[in-house]
Amino acid sequence: MDDVAHKQFDAIPSFLGVPIGDLEDLVPGQVAMAGYFCDNLDRPAAGQRYLARQLRYASRPENAPANVTDLGDVNVFPLEVDKHFSAVISQCEAILETGARMVLVGGDSSGLKALGIAVRKITNTDVLVVSVTEGIMGNLSKTQPIILSVDLQELGGIWMSQPRRLSGLSPAQMIAQIEATPGNVVAAAIFGLAPALDNRGTTETCAALAILQAVAEHLEKGAS
Amino acid sequence: MITGYAGLPFGEISQCEARSVGVLGVPSEVDSGQRIGASLAPDALRKMSQQLGIALPVNGWDLGNLNLLGNWSVALMQLVIKMVDGDIVPVVLGGASNVASGVLEALPDLPVVAAMPLARGDVAARQEETIWVGLNGGQPADVWDQINQRSMAWRTARQLDEGDTGFSSMPKRAILWVDISVIDLGHAAGAVGINPAGMKPETLVSAIGAMTCSWQAIVITGLAPERDTRGMSELTIIETLNAALRNG
Repeated sequence: MDDVAHKQFDAIPSFLGVPIGDLEDLVPGQVAMAGYFCDNLDRPAAGQRYLARQLRYASRPENAPANVTDLGDVNVFPLEVDKHFSAVISQCEAILETGARMVLVGGDSSGLKALGIAVRKITNTDVLVVSVTEGIMGNLSKTQPIILSVDLQELGGIWMSQPRRLSGLSPAQMIAQIEATPGNVVAAAIFGLAPALDNRGTTETCAALAILQAVAEHLEKGAS
Repeated sequence: MITGYAGLPFGEISQCEARSVGVLGVPSEVDSGQRIGASLAPDALRKMSQQLGIALPVNGWDLGNLNLLGNWSVALMQLVIKMVDGDIVPVVLGGASNVASGVLEALPDLPVVAAMPLARGDVAARQEETIWVGLNGGQPADVWDQINQRSMAWRTARQLDEGDTGFSSMPKRAILWVDISVIDLGHAAGAVGINPAGMKPETLVSAIGAMTCSWQAIVITGLAPERDTRGMSELTIIETLNAALRNG
């Protein structure tokens, strides 16, 4: 993307305030973030699709990770399931083929499924999906490629504007788990939260943003 | 349209089978103070349990709300006695604390497990010893003397939050009374009573869930749902009820 285009996109909110870019801007080792605007396919709950938008609105550029790019949202076809998965998988593949690591943000858990298929196609291996809520697998080697699954439904009710259960992890616990995840995290999905779009959603949005920051930084470290 | 609590069908006592529950709303209102709204609790709990899609671990019927015209406390006592005689567990959703008074009066010979910040003299004076859960702050001196003289078991909110949940002996059968004021206002704001440094919601759920006694009746009071826009207070009650009914 040239400088003129960059200036044009300066005012558009992006994840963590990172620069907005295109596929051709990606280089190996970079972290690419993309929004996933779909919440009706796997564990459906209306509103999860707005998480990416909400996180962009809440982002401030002060702590923007240096090696991360916001690619916008992947194209989705939530009413045409086969077309949808095919499209999302191929877009994720295209991103991963550049050598970048990828974070899919928002929506339901169908995004994780598509991301998993894409990573397996690219790496030609049966890549593990590691959930931050299930704890760290002690026998993972540092080079083992993994996909990090961050299900925000596992946050405790106290952090949510519309709690559905009392128990759960705090954002700090989730971040600690993310930071302690061993292995070579090649991709991550953050999903499962339908943020309230008014002031009541401030807490959960801030929590999700801090978790997104931790994921980005963890993938950046892996990339360095 | 509101359905029965936790997906239970609406019905009558005659439809309840032995070893099931009968959920009864008693929407009485607190008669003093600024934090009113307890009368909205039964329907708020039904609505919240419907939204969450939560089911009870036991079968039963929702008996609707008690008509509070006339001498409702007598009607409440009669309903509770009828259910207990039929081996049905009444789950009474208040309402103010006078709802619990009616339930306790109907079953005078049973011990009580009382989750509330301030110990009550009328409960401490019952024939059977009461177990106090989540006491917090200065207690009335005469009630405290009675609790100590009779060596009643008690745990403060802080003790419970710090993991000291073990009660040395639990009665085999008891009444469970949960006044939502036992929860810290910062965690769940929907209570008619203010209780800074009260229990955490998760602690209440785990403390009640760890109790092994067979609940003969359960009564919930003090919930003011409109004061808690997030619904943490309703969620706390719903999870506490499920934890209690899972064991007892």
